[in-house]
Amino acid sequence: MTTKTLIKVIWYALLALLILLMLAPIAWMISTSFKPETEIATIDVNWIPRNFTTENYERVFERFAILRWTLNSLIVSSAATALVLLLDSLAGYALARMHFAGRSVIFGIILSMLFVPMQITVVPLFLMFAEVDLTDTYLALVLPVGANVTGVFLMRQFFLNIPYELEDAARVDGASTLRIWWSVVLPLAKPALTAVAIVTFLSTWNSFFWPLIATRTDASRTLPVGIAQFMSLRPGQAQGAQAYGQAMAGAVIAALPPIIVFYMLQRYFIEGISMTGIKG
Amino acid sequence: MRVIPRPRAGATAGESSHLYSRWTPYLFLLPYLLVFLAFRLGPSLFGLAMSFTRWSIVGSPEWIGTANYDLMQIDPRLEVALKNTAFFTGLTVPLLVILSLALAIFLNQPHKGRALGRIAAFTPYVLMSTVVGVLWTWLLEKDFGLVNVYLEQLGIAGQPWLVSQDVAMYGIILTTIWWTVGYGMVLFLAGLQDIPAELYEAARIDGASSWRLLRHITLPLLAPTTFVVLMLTIINSFQVFDQVYVMTSGGPGTATLTLVQYIYTTAFQNLRMGYGAAIATLLFAILIVFALVQAYLYRRGVTGTASQ
Repeated sequence: MTTKTLIKVIWYALLALLILLMLAPIAWMISTSFKPETEIATIDVNWIPRNFTTENYERVFERFAILRWTLNSLIVSSAATALVLLLDSLAGYALARMHFAGRSVIFGIILSMLFVPMQITVVPLFLMFAEVDLTDTYLALVLPVGANVTGVFLMRQFFLNIPYELEDAARVDGASTLRIWWSVVLPLAKPALTAVAIVTFLSTWNSFFWPLIATRTDASRTLPVGIAQFMSLRPGQAQGAQAYGQAMAGAVIAALPPIIVFYMLQRYFIEGISMTGIKG
Repeated sequence: MRVIPRPRAGATAGESSHLYSRWTPYLFLLPYLLVFLAFRLGPSLFGLAMSFTRWSIVGSPEWIGTANYDLMQIDPRLEVALKNTAFFTGLTVPLLVILSLALAIFLNQPHKGRALGRIAAFTPYVLMSTVVGVLWTWLLEKDFGLVNVYLEQLGIAGQPWLVSQDVAMYGIILTTIWWTVGYGMVLFLAGLQDIPAELYEAARIDGASSWRLLRHITLPLLAPTTFVVLMLTIINSFQVFDQVYVMTSGGPGTATLTLVQYIYTTAFQNLRMGYGAAIATLLFAILIVFALVQAYLYRRGVTGTASQ
């Protein structure tokens, strides 16, 4: 009885410590973002700002196109997700349910690209898009996402496991293959489509390396690339404090929407991630 | 969209030997394959070819054979980048695997409030890399950063985290662990769900202690998951870039210069595209070695024994 209680007390103490360690940095980010410059550069820890101000946010909106970056990120991530769902469910269906010459060779070549790091494609991609003058456009950010491998793999795996009878029934009714894919197979594939959609949207939303290279102006700059600019506000230690208030305000603006969406949809998030993590 | 292929007429159930026309599979594959060829396979091969050229963004490429690879062998910055990347990976991977496994086991205990712990542990992973970088640059600030302020209050000397060559990499590692530990935890939690509860019950009836349950049931049955987490973490660690770019840009000096950071600097700041492509090829070679080791171990049944 007493050891059991003791274990429980220790467990809850550790739980509290864990929650604190994981969430305190985020709380501190929010707290700093509402402080004036003078209150930031001190060794006094005020979790609640003593001189509450929204000045940092006003400055951020004034000096940076942060809303434009967010809009760019939304457009690019949505377009990339739609593209991936369309291409991968078509290709995955063919690879899983149809017989044709070269199927395993094609699938093998697609899968082999899993081992090729995307960094190797970045220099050629940049030169290709520069050649046709399409760097710094949405197209340059969206199209390479359409070439992803995990989505095709996941869709194929899913299609392998749906029963043939449903397709056969539709075929007897005279439906075309495209029609069967659209109105029989896709509705069944909702779990896989959801997982692929979430993972594609998230990875595009968070993608940094390629957008950093491909974008030049606010017209196409995505949120992660924009946020990185806040650190260039930090020329030396002396000016640091002034910059951190604005940097934290920018970080809060970028961080809150995903956190809120995550708290609302956390089950789908975690399912999507464990599904692709294990199988990809 | 215009790219949707149309199935041929006659691809109906009427012809029992032909469920679909001969070309239907290719038409289904075509849209993806075009994009795949143009933006993945093509650039990969192009990148490989580029590594044998000298190519600055102005002017035309010049074929120089293996000169880039010869240069790599005597490039001191590349050596530093390799060492830094190996050091980062060597420290981050074991810490991440152990901590995320411990977190998963801890948050799998049947106590109320564990869901809260899981959500808290996963929350940092929801943040984009550059937000994490900006946030931790502030937390690790030398004089007023929260980490140093609390360390001083505990009587421990604060560290010049990101501004000293000696400790900058530890700052990056700390940041990375906070950011990604929840990801490994989720994978481990999924692995724990797959362990049948009867195994524990049976062992308990036999009087096994909690320690023995962990040692003889949980850990062996988690081996496949551990393998996956290990491989994912190694691959991600070798490609570390975002945090480094935001927090230190590879500095101070070359203290946090990693392989991908060096590719970025070489190709896109110094505009030595050919040499950048050669370093990217080296990264590919390193990752393929890990992939081969992984495939070999997998065949050997290191993970197979414990899975179904």
